[in-house]
Amino acid sequence: MTFDQILGHEHQKEILRRGLVNGRIAHAYLFSGPDGIGKRLMAMALARAIVCLEQRGCGHCQACRKIDHQNHPDLHILEPDGSSIKIEQVRAFQRDLNLKPLEASRKICMIEQAETMTAGAANALLKTLEEPRGDTLLILLTAQPNRLLETIRSRCQPLPFTRHPNSRIQAELEKQLGIDATESHVLAALSEGSFKKAFGKDRELYLEQRRDLLKTLTGLSSGSILPILDFAEQLAADKTILIDILEIFQAFFRDVLMTLEGRGDEELVNLDLKHKVHRVAAHENVASILDKLDALMTVRRQLDRNVNRQLAMEVLLLKLAA
Amino acid sequence: MAYLVLARKWRPQNFTDLIGQEHVSQTLANAIRSGRVHHAFLFTGARGVGKTSAARILAKALNCEAGLSDQPCGTCASCMEITASHGLDVIEIDGASNTGVDDVRELRENIRYLPNRSRFKIFIIDEVHMLSTNAFNALLKTLEEPPEHAKFIFATTEPHKIPITILSRCQRFDFRKIPTSRVAGRLREIADAEKLTISDRSLSLIARQGEGSMRDALSTLDQVIAFSGDEVEDDAVQTLLGMVDRRLLLDTVEAVLQRDSRRALDAVRRIDQLGLALKQFTQDLLEMFRGMVICKVVEDPAEMLDLVGDELKGLKTLAEEASLEDLQRVVTLLLKTQSELVNSNYPLLTLEMSLVRLANLSPSQNLARLISHIESLEKRLGETAPPPRKMPSAQPRPAQETPPPKKPEAPVAVKTANKGWQGLVEQVRQSRPMLGSVLEHGRPLKLELPTLEIGYPNGSFMISQLQEQQITQDLEALATAYFGQPVKLLVSGIDSSQQSAPPSLVETRQAKETDRMRRLREDAVGHPALKSVQEIFNGTIKKVIPIDKGFV
Repeated sequence: MTFDQILGHEHQKEILRRGLVNGRIAHAYLFSGPDGIGKRLMAMALARAIVCLEQRGCGHCQACRKIDHQNHPDLHILEPDGSSIKIEQVRAFQRDLNLKPLEASRKICMIEQAETMTAGAANALLKTLEEPRGDTLLILLTAQPNRLLETIRSRCQPLPFTRHPNSRIQAELEKQLGIDATESHVLAALSEGSFKKAFGKDRELYLEQRRDLLKTLTGLSSGSILPILDFAEQLAADKTILIDILEIFQAFFRDVLMTLEGRGDEELVNLDLKHKVHRVAAHENVASILDKLDALMTVRRQLDRNVNRQLAMEVLLLKLAA
Repeated sequence: MAYLVLARKWRPQNFTDLIGQEHVSQTLANAIRSGRVHHAFLFTGARGVGKTSAARILAKALNCEAGLSDQPCGTCASCMEITASHGLDVIEIDGASNTGVDDVRELRENIRYLPNRSRFKIFIIDEVHMLSTNAFNALLKTLEEPPEHAKFIFATTEPHKIPITILSRCQRFDFRKIPTSRVAGRLREIADAEKLTISDRSLSLIARQGEGSMRDALSTLDQVIAFSGDEVEDDAVQTLLGMVDRRLLLDTVEAVLQRDSRRALDAVRRIDQLGLALKQFTQDLLEMFRGMVICKVVEDPAEMLDLVGDELKGLKTLAEEASLEDLQRVVTLLLKTQSELVNSNYPLLTLEMSLVRLANLSPSQNLARLISHIESLEKRLGETAPPPRKMPSAQPRPAQETPPPKKPEAPVAVKTANKGWQGLVEQVRQSRPMLGSVLEHGRPLKLELPTLEIGYPNGSFMISQLQEQQITQDLEALATAYFGQPVKLLVSGIDSSQQSAPPSLVETRQAKETDRMRRLREDAVGHPALKSVQEIFNGTIKKVIPIDKGFV
């Protein structure tokens, strides 16, 4: 993948290109930005541009192909082992870095999900990151730069990536999947600027189940408690998609909020459920919607901390149905 | 050699380059000049303020071949080696990678040997906070009395993780964050040396981004150069830093102040379309409001705000429109939003919610005015309402407080004085809860001012308590305050079977309770439904429980 094949991120491409041309590539970069927007692709493209035998990341030469297959001897990739990057991994990696590059002009190391480094691992990396031996290029990738140590952040040249505009994702969805404009709008809006999400396996959830879920949700009333408990049980059952479902709820209530604030329909996520949004908006006010959105945010934070899922869902639904 | 980032290329090489840390460099220079160099130093401070650099400079100064001086020559073999970080006698250890006790033991082995050719053998341990407890402890003896030729320099960002036994053996230097103006000044020097064209405004923006850290600022400058080459435009810096256009910011501020949520949401939408970082936007917004708060409370805010001319004037006019309370509330809410944004998985929504909330804040009332309002209300009420309980009240108590008529043994005399006694007990209980509960058990034998006689069953614990002089005095003082005339307190023992004495408050309450229970039972037994249940099931009534106490 060359720079040209990566969609968007013109700014970032330009910075790296110039760096390559002027020989001003720093020794450590921090690529930060939401998941699935192309940080890794960009890092790979940069790696290729550096090792390429034709000096331009052609994609055909031996070196480029090795990078593509991730078996270039001078490309080191550090990934979380389990849930985190551990200090042993960092130490092994530092030993590798002490050796001279084999084929390319410099060694290239990518640290994926850098925020998962344990405190020990991160600290062990500090000296390397500040003054690596020889011609080493370190690229840290992270979706949550704020969870990195300040000392790590300060040692890297930051290169923040922004999410893709919805229009770009929508166009791409329509082109590649051949779905209609409304569906692609919903998908693009729910994907939060991430290609990974938009094209991922959640499509069915986002399109089909969403309608049923929202129908059940808006059908709940504070008077009848049993349906609420049933629905909570149903939601809590599947841990993997729960977060996505909550996202759908958030998007829905955001739509209601936007409608209440008198924004146009084009800003809605759930374009296909316009009428439902308007109906809900008719008997809500801004304060109550803000409360509900708050409840959703709270529950998402709680889920990160391993609360009792069913209980959390019951509380949430009681608040949402109020 | 590949390209060196500015932070490495321009690492300070002598004490004069080390800006913003004069308190450190002067102390060290004086120590060196007077030959009173400690053997262990601890450098602490935030990231990128010069700890590692200072350690290296100190090493150079100590080992310079031109003699021990606070101005290392930078040209002798020793200085050159240290600059290139492969000095034989300056051993730089990565504390975070060599954390174990074995690493320290190895160091202790090494320390015995004399330096190869320099004056001192210097151990720089960077990121020393990551050493294990055992490693620290293994170091203690060496650190207390190292050989004459050894010097230790520790550097860390987290001094609180270092055991106090280590701290007490080191000379500690706290590095400060570098003021923005100093960072900008240094950036200017570097920019000139690198033949960069860049405006002062951009440099100060970059410096501010660094938040007191030179390395952060230099990393950003690197980024700027990478983006725009040697000719740096102001616009380019703004875009690169994700700075939000000031007009857009002003628009949002105005929208919030005029409670126009639609316009505020418009701004968010524009930010989103431009692909700017929402976090940066919130930060900028927060800074605007902070500026306005400062404009409100400080007479000459120019210095505190780092703003000049039009920007300051604009901020001042904006600040005039809003009240201080409102601004503070906005700042509080924005601060909360800022921390929420960091962990939010739907940042756009978080920001939108926050702005809608800000725009819907009901205008705050001036607190002082509210208070004076309440006070005047109180005064008006006070004129019509009876004065608060103060006088001795011999008047009969209100109907519902009289003891139930089922209590024939209650003497009439006490009934009239009851308010007095009960009131006194309540009063005492408010200020002295323990004493109050003692009084509750007492029987008011005589309440004919100025004499108050309280009776307790003979030999009870309470008698002995009340007979203590201190307590008697306290109680008399309280009673005096309550009745508004001097009171003489008498405590006497009574025979517990004696029926003539008026009941204590506790007894009254118990009597009331059993009386109520009896009536409840009567009611329950007499109830037709219960009767038929008894008949059908041939049951008996075991217990009657009032559902208002303890149940349901």
